[in-house]
Amino acid sequence: MSENIRTMLIEMNNVFKTYVLGEVKVPALHAISLKIEDNEFVAIMGPSGSGKSTLMNIMGCLDTPTTGTYYLGRKDVGSLNDNQLSDIRNTAIGFVFQTFNLLPRSSALRNVELPLVYSGMPSLKRKQFAMDVLERVGLNDRMMHKSNELSGGERQRVAIARALVNKPSLILADEPTGNLDSKTGEEIIEIMQKLHEQGNTIILVTHEEYIAKRTNRIIRLRDGVIENDERI
Amino acid sequence: MIILENIQMALQSLKTNPLRSALTLTGIAVGIGAVLYVVILGDITQQRINERLESLGSNVLLIRPGYSHMRGVRTAENVVNLKWDEANDIETTSNVIIAAVPRYSDQGAAEFKDQNWNTRVTGTTPEYETVNNDHPIAGRFFSEDELNRRARVCLLGATVHEELFGNLSPIGESILINSKRFTVIGLLGAKGESWSNPDDVVFVPLTTAQERLYGVDYLSSILAQMRSANDYDESLFDIETILRRNHRLRPDEENDFRVRRQDLFLSAVQETNQEIANFIIIIALVSLIVGGIGIANVMLVTVTERTREIGLRRAIGAKKLHILTQFLVEAVILGIIGGILGTVGCMGFNYFFTGNGLNVPLDWIGYSFIICSGIGSIAGLYPAFQAANKNVIDALRYE
Repeated sequence: MSENIRTMLIEMNNVFKTYVLGEVKVPALHAISLKIEDNEFVAIMGPSGSGKSTLMNIMGCLDTPTTGTYYLGRKDVGSLNDNQLSDIRNTAIGFVFQTFNLLPRSSALRNVELPLVYSGMPSLKRKQFAMDVLERVGLNDRMMHKSNELSGGERQRVAIARALVNKPSLILADEPTGNLDSKTGEEIIEIMQKLHEQGNTIILVTHEEYIAKRTNRIIRLRDGVIENDERI
Repeated sequence: MIILENIQMALQSLKTNPLRSALTLTGIAVGIGAVLYVVILGDITQQRINERLESLGSNVLLIRPGYSHMRGVRTAENVVNLKWDEANDIETTSNVIIAAVPRYSDQGAAEFKDQNWNTRVTGTTPEYETVNNDHPIAGRFFSEDELNRRARVCLLGATVHEELFGNLSPIGESILINSKRFTVIGLLGAKGESWSNPDDVVFVPLTTAQERLYGVDYLSSILAQMRSANDYDESLFDIETILRRNHRLRPDEENDFRVRRQDLFLSAVQETNQEIANFIIIIALVSLIVGGIGIANVMLVTVTERTREIGLRRAIGAKKLHILTQFLVEAVILGIIGGILGTVGCMGFNYFFTGNGLNVPLDWIGYSFIICSGIGSIAGLYPAFQAANKNVIDALRYE
């Protein structure tokens, strides 16, 4: 977070992740070592089953490595318990999902407020924060609409606002344009680029080459190993 | 802070499925309504018994004729062996009995103009008024002089008054009792109905009842007032001694009379009432448990339906405890709303049948609140645990 002196935001060393399905062990990640600095804009690409979802889950502190170390900022994520993982997701990470994952019968404002509820911010301050980020994604006139009354593009912008509201050090977007038409997808990418220019660190998973090209760095995975890591 | 948020969320989610919520609430509402209603009824009965106890006083004994026994076999009820002399005898001989009031009661037909009513006619002495603490609310009790003259005067119980006169004042009016003319000199206050109606009665002087109306020389009961409730054993001894001697009973013969303490009798009635009430409360509690199972069922469905929401909340920073309390609060709120509906329903029901709407005892409203939130939290515990322990990644991808 802000008191972080090091410019290195993510540091993975020799990370393995193995799932046990019944008696079979399925290796998902194999000796991943990776560094991502503050204010990078990174795309992770790879075919289905390449391990990119697993990598995202670990980066997002939804999961921990089987072996190897993962430092997010100065925190060794592998050593954290469930509550500490919740805290770090709450304060340091913002998620954007392919399927938006908004609460359907709640207003846009309420959806954006949600992370602040869990960080224990008082109600009035929370509303102010949420309104500010909704304005930043251009939804100031749609705040009170229920999220199931919004278009796909608007929903994803609400989701981005929700990811931003806690001022996270890392934004993780899992195929954020996957459920959108190309024009709306383009709008979302433009918002992400702008957020990057404003100093945010963004990692996005995508299938689309043209979207990956808009980032500054493309990491390609295949069969759980990094196949290619290029800066544009 | 989080709890308040949870309450808000819970109310919102209940609104999302109004029919489902309503059906779930019904179980709890019916259960708690039934419990409260039984409590109200119990309270009303209790109140009446207490009033009776107060009006009787705890130091009054009721002496009634018993059964005669022939060689250990009970034959017929002997109703003719209590005499007025014996009442006087008890009053004058015993040191612990300060008054013994003779009574003779029989069926009688009372008429006023074109109204008539079959009732109980009780002949007694003026002492009855003070011993039984039963003062006229209008007019007066009959006097010693009227007793001696076998005067044709009477006092009406509240029921008889209402049946013959409606709202009119009966004092000074002339009525017929068993076709004999009587003047109404007093009106007694209503005591309220319990297992029998103490207001359905006409009081006349004992002499009048025995000689003019029924032609008998015996009594149906004697009310003996003790100096204090502690004198029970000694009073019993005195009564037995006097009556056994008068009735010439051999030592091996049983009493041909019965002595009962009014308050003990009422306590027994009270106990029976309480037992019945407890039994019904247990049945009502079973329906509460069924209501609780309903809540648990709905909560399990809700948790499954909202798997993705749970995943999302966990992803953006909710701890397990947050999820646990969210669903627990929802279940408790279901219980509490059910409880409120049950309480209101019970009051409405009571109003409909008795006209007294708001007399649910406050402490029981408190208990039902605690019971309902208790049932809600027990019912919600397992579903809430399930919700809290869902795997975040799987929950996020749940379809």
